[in-house]
Amino acid sequence: MKLSFSSAYFASNFPVFLKSSVVTSLYRPVSSSSQSCLPTCLKPQVPLFLKPPIYSTALSDLKSWHDWAKSLATSIGSTFVESDNGPDSSLLCRELKWLMEDAVEDQSVLTQMGNVNNQTVIMRADVEELYSLWKQRIEDRRPFQYLVGCEHWKDLVLSVQDGVLIPRPETEHIIDLVADVLSKNEGLRQGVWADLGTGSGAIAIAIGRMLGKCGRVIATDFSPVAVAVAAYNVQRYCLQDVVQLKQGSWFEPLKNVEGKLAGLVSNPPYIPSKDITGLQAEVGRHEPRVALDGGINGMDDLFHLCNGAASMLKPGGFFAFETNGEQQCKHLVDYLENHTSGSFCGLKIEPDFAGIQRFVTGFRQ
Amino acid sequence: MSFNMLKRSWRKSLHFAEIQRSQLVCSSRFSSFLNKIVENPSGSRGDLVPSNWFWFASKYRHFSDSSSQVATLPSGYGFYRKNIPGCRSYLLPDINFCYGFLQGLAFSSRFRLLGSQAAMEPSTSDGLTVEGILANNWTVLDESENDWKSHASAIAQSIHLIKKRLQWKKLIVRLNMLSMELNKPDLWDDPVHAGKISREHGSLLGKMKEVKAFEQELLEHIDMIKLAREEDDADLESESLKALLNMRRNSKEKELEALLSGEQDSCSCFIEVQAGAGGIKRATIKVDGEHAFGYAKSEVGVHRLVRISPFDSNKRRHTSFAAVAVIPIMGDGSTRVQINESDLRIERFRSGGAGGQHANTTDSAVRIVHIPTGVTATCQNERSQHQNKASAMAVLQSRLDQLEMTRQAQMNAHHTQSLTDITWGSQIRSYVLHPYRMVKDLRTNYEVSDPDSVLEGDIDGFILSYLSASLDKDEE
Ligand SMILES: C[S@@+](CC[C@H](N)C(=O)[O-])C[C@H]1O[C@@H](n2cnc3c(N)ncnc32)[C@H](O)[C@@H]1O
Repeated sequence: MKLSFSSAYFASNFPVFLKSSVVTSLYRPVSSSSQSCLPTCLKPQVPLFLKPPIYSTALSDLKSWHDWAKSLATSIGSTFVESDNGPDSSLLCRELKWLMEDAVEDQSVLTQMGNVNNQTVIMRADVEELYSLWKQRIEDRRPFQYLVGCEHWKDLVLSVQDGVLIPRPETEHIIDLVADVLSKNEGLRQGVWADLGTGSGAIAIAIGRMLGKCGRVIATDFSPVAVAVAAYNVQRYCLQDVVQLKQGSWFEPLKNVEGKLAGLVSNPPYIPSKDITGLQAEVGRHEPRVALDGGINGMDDLFHLCNGAASMLKPGGFFAFETNGEQQCKHLVDYLENHTSGSFCGLKIEPDFAGIQRFVTGFRQ
Repeated sequence: MSFNMLKRSWRKSLHFAEIQRSQLVCSSRFSSFLNKIVENPSGSRGDLVPSNWFWFASKYRHFSDSSSQVATLPSGYGFYRKNIPGCRSYLLPDINFCYGFLQGLAFSSRFRLLGSQAAMEPSTSDGLTVEGILANNWTVLDESENDWKSHASAIAQSIHLIKKRLQWKKLIVRLNMLSMELNKPDLWDDPVHAGKISREHGSLLGKMKEVKAFEQELLEHIDMIKLAREEDDADLESESLKALLNMRRNSKEKELEALLSGEQDSCSCFIEVQAGAGGIKRATIKVDGEHAFGYAKSEVGVHRLVRISPFDSNKRRHTSFAAVAVIPIMGDGSTRVQINESDLRIERFRSGGAGGQHANTTDSAVRIVHIPTGVTATCQNERSQHQNKASAMAVLQSRLDQLEMTRQAQMNAHHTQSLTDITWGSQIRSYVLHPYRMVKDLRTNYEVSDPDSVLEGDIDGFILSYLSASLDKDEE
């Protein structure tokens, strides 16, 4: 790690090229990426719970499916836990309950599952689809959030789909950190913020809801699917006037706000390339690699962001980055202290709720 | 409001209590008594009232039980009023006299403030005021006598009494003070305080306006009668007389309302009872309903019972005591424990691993530890960590509230202890069944020679005489 370190500092300016093998297979090369082009061609998927309730099923059929799904979940036991720290059967059963909640229109039916009669149930997906979805969950380890097309994150329900990273509970804490800073510095509430690599738009939307009248968030992502899904979520929370989406690589779409940002937050890809193959099946097999792979030591994008932060933030501006854990946090703080010619102050490492050193925060001098 | 109704439900509840009492004889634990109430399937559910409740306690002293237990009575109980939505009963290890609270009450109802307002006195066209009517001392005849002066005099006397009960002069001083506060430009810097001030202002202003309108109405009817006589309009005169009679009848109800106009009178309350010496005999009942506190506060103090104990095989006479405390339940959440973020440790369970981008899990269970007390709460059912945290917080909040309630009750129990053992001064009522029969309130000297009816729950007379005695003395 230490050895590759100094080279990473230099490489950090060209993170995309380091990962080009991954990127080109999925996206256009960086050079042709354009700014603020909202993809009109990409139509984001509607999450299950928002689909029209147009299917009607006999309660007995729903119950048969449920019994089948439950026994499938139970049969897993701790197999997934042992193989790659995946879900155990009790967690799968909880997911099954949530799948029912999203699929069935009238929730009261769920309590009557015991006494099967001729009743019909109004649903947002037909039973055939539910069979296929649950099969994907168990056999393909497709993430639950992709089945139902949404993730509950903070007090938001965000649409997600294949190609977009499912926001993590750890990342919720970035919002708490920002809230804390805003409460102490009203001026930052009225400024321009940036969420780089916004994915589903989670961080940008949550921050957008905390800002004042003049506050704005610019959310960028290199992935067109992510931008489309984020735009959909921004619209669902009526924040079109607050959160502006731009497609492009990191700071590229932000040239016109150089030195003006009140805040900069990012949860960039930070998993070391060599660890990608051993990831939990839900992550490794299904989530986009560009959202996860942070280069050789996982810090390519983090270093790139640190370098950019010095020129993008205005004096007193705040930044918060999520990292892979204690090691990355320490490297980052060391880098910020010793290699950015004193651009930053108030550097801090913050743990997540599991006690892992997860975030690096600080202010532009 | 109907006092008969009140009385009836009171009696009914006492009747119920009697049934329970006989059941209790077979039970070996005091707490099982409460369980019985919970289980009681009959429709004739009633409530336990303090005047009776504490006799259980002293009677079943030997069934002492040091465990703490909380019992919940199903809702739908009749207590002071029939529309009382719910009543809960707690049996806590140490619950009692809430002296701090009582002092607070006394304090808040006594505003020693200077300054008053020279209000414009309303009068009739020929200058007659309500004060003037009172000064005239017109004889008050029976309602059936159609005499306007008699009606007017009766109404004026009621108004006088109502003002006294509302502590009129203090009310006006307080209103002025509140208005001044409301006009301060920085008022809303503290929204909680501002809300409190404007609520109190609104409520006092409402009371004042109601009385003023009543005065105005009286004077207008008098004007009309005089006018009718001048014009020789018999219809108008009889109509106005009728209106006066109506007012006279209404005024009786208003007098009663004015008895329960204290700041906390409309609150629900806890009634806490502790028997005299030995064993645990503390119980807390939650009473929900309009003016629950306003009525129940009259029972605060030490009650003394003298009788031949049914448990003494030698048929000797016994004296027992019970202390009653009443605590209002403030609706504004002021009873909630303030939780400091910095006192909390929030933990997430997970099976090791690097977390973050490495893991995709729908498991976001959260445990919150309140460091100073060690109280914890956990939630795993919600779909986001944030929501799990919020639910766990709500549980933590109620656990801490409960803990605080117990703590305060324990603190107050010290007062009760010394109170029941030595202080005779706080004795408010004695119930003597032997050798003579009488119930006497030592504060008002109100007495009843039929103790059974009182023990059956007929305590309205005691409550009303106490309330009026404490309010109807002249304003200093
Ligand atoms: C770990 S995900 C975080 C997504 C989202 N912010 C969250 O916390 O859920 C990283 C995101 O960075 C985006 N990304 C990767 N390379 C990028 C680049 N060169 N420029 C901008 N975004 C990039 C990915 O598409 C992905 O959405």
